[in-house]
Amino acid sequence: MPPVLSKPTEQPMETTVNTTTEGRPDFISIRDFSFFYGKKQALFDISLDIPERQVTAFIGPSGCGKSTLLRNLNRMNDLIDGIRHSGDIVVNGRSIYDPHIEVISLRKRVGMVFQKSNPFPKSIYENVVYPLRVSGQNKKSVLDETVERSLQGAALWDEVKDRLHESGLSLSGGQMQRLCIARAIANRPEILLMDEPCSALDPIATVKVEELIRELKQEFTIVIVTHNMQQATRCSDRTAFFYLGKLVEFDETPKIFSNPAQKQTEDYITGRFG
Amino acid sequence: METPRHILTNFETALENLRNDVLMMASLAARSLDCARKGLFERDEDWCNTVIADDEEVDALEIQIDNAGMDIMLRYHPFASDLRNVIAAMKTSVNLERAADQAVGIARRARKLILQPALPEIARIEPLFDTATNLFKDAIKAFSDGDIELARTLKLRDKGLDEQNRSFAETLADLMQKNPDSIRGYLELIFIARFLERIGDQAKSIAEDTIYAVEVKDIRHTSIPN
Repeated sequence: MPPVLSKPTEQPMETTVNTTTEGRPDFISIRDFSFFYGKKQALFDISLDIPERQVTAFIGPSGCGKSTLLRNLNRMNDLIDGIRHSGDIVVNGRSIYDPHIEVISLRKRVGMVFQKSNPFPKSIYENVVYPLRVSGQNKKSVLDETVERSLQGAALWDEVKDRLHESGLSLSGGQMQRLCIARAIANRPEILLMDEPCSALDPIATVKVEELIRELKQEFTIVIVTHNMQQATRCSDRTAFFYLGKLVEFDETPKIFSNPAQKQTEDYITGRFG
Repeated sequence: METPRHILTNFETALENLRNDVLMMASLAARSLDCARKGLFERDEDWCNTVIADDEEVDALEIQIDNAGMDIMLRYHPFASDLRNVIAAMKTSVNLERAADQAVGIARRARKLILQPALPEIARIEPLFDTATNLFKDAIKAFSDGDIELARTLKLRDKGLDEQNRSFAETLADLMQKNPDSIRGYLELIFIARFLERIGDQAKSIAEDTIYAVEVKDIRHTSIPN
């Protein structure tokens, strides 16, 4: 019987990066970025320009470094002991490692939605306004406006407008994830990071979140990590393929999925290695 | 370099079956063209009837390939070369079915010609048969082997067949004035030449789809082959 999983193609790893972004400015510029968990190097010299107000998908097999890179974009990895990096990540012209930048203010600019929805055990209303309250905003008119704007932005307003003071935990899985998106956009971040945002959702809830992602890109620069190829093709404008901590290919999504430049990308997206 | 196996062996089998069905259809269509030729030149109605009867099998295969291609896309969501190969297989089957229909057309016209006295001008259509048959068989070979160089030659060669057809029609139009008693037979020959010319078009389309599947270059409706 043939092996179910084939070994990755043994060939020197090359990188193809198409930086044409149809006149859109590069909003996030990753430059020669390497990242280490202690002695283990997780990312190798990544250089990548992410355009503004587009959806960029990170794909690749487990352990390829895509989530590590995503979590570096708002310095989430700073919380882990023994990490270090080289190279730089520049957002809107300024390094996120600039010593004058506070991590908290960076995370206000770079919102994040996680794989598993994580609403707080509070009301729907309080979940959405939580980031504002943390930053000292308690004016009711501002909070009310934020709740309506954010829930509308997350395509949840019509479903919950009559029960804003019920627990966020009373919502369905898909609604909870959209509540987390509403919370992530409440502070009007510039960038929205999404780490497998639909992996725990049913197909209908997934479609709603994907439609939402397409709408949100009018306002935000979105970076999404996904294992779901169909999701990457449906949602993203550009796709980056990572393997063993290296960027193999970055190009427009239709190009990556119809005619990738690198054989490793082709082998991965056609299911020739897992 | 050996192509690594797909993580889903069922997918690999489905893709191989689809390809085998296309090749089976191609060999049936090529056989129909050969039989139609024998029917015409040997004045043998049996060969003509074989072509007409075999068309049912070709039609059934076209439907089978459509369903199998749809099934593969639904179940496995192929990407990149896999996606292009599935699409090329489905498009090629449409061209093969049409080519087989042209063979049926030739067989029907040949049956009518057999009922009339033999025309010496029938020899003039033989070069068209040669060109069309070679084009068709080379298109199938290019598809089967993924032979881009061979596929690239088809576009220009199809133009040559178009020219042969035009010239043949003009010659027969002249002969019609000289031999009005043979007009009916000449008309049948003109129709047969047109069927052959269309087989060349189908061969060219198969070659274009092969080039797209392998090289992702769309050379349809371009004047100069890339």
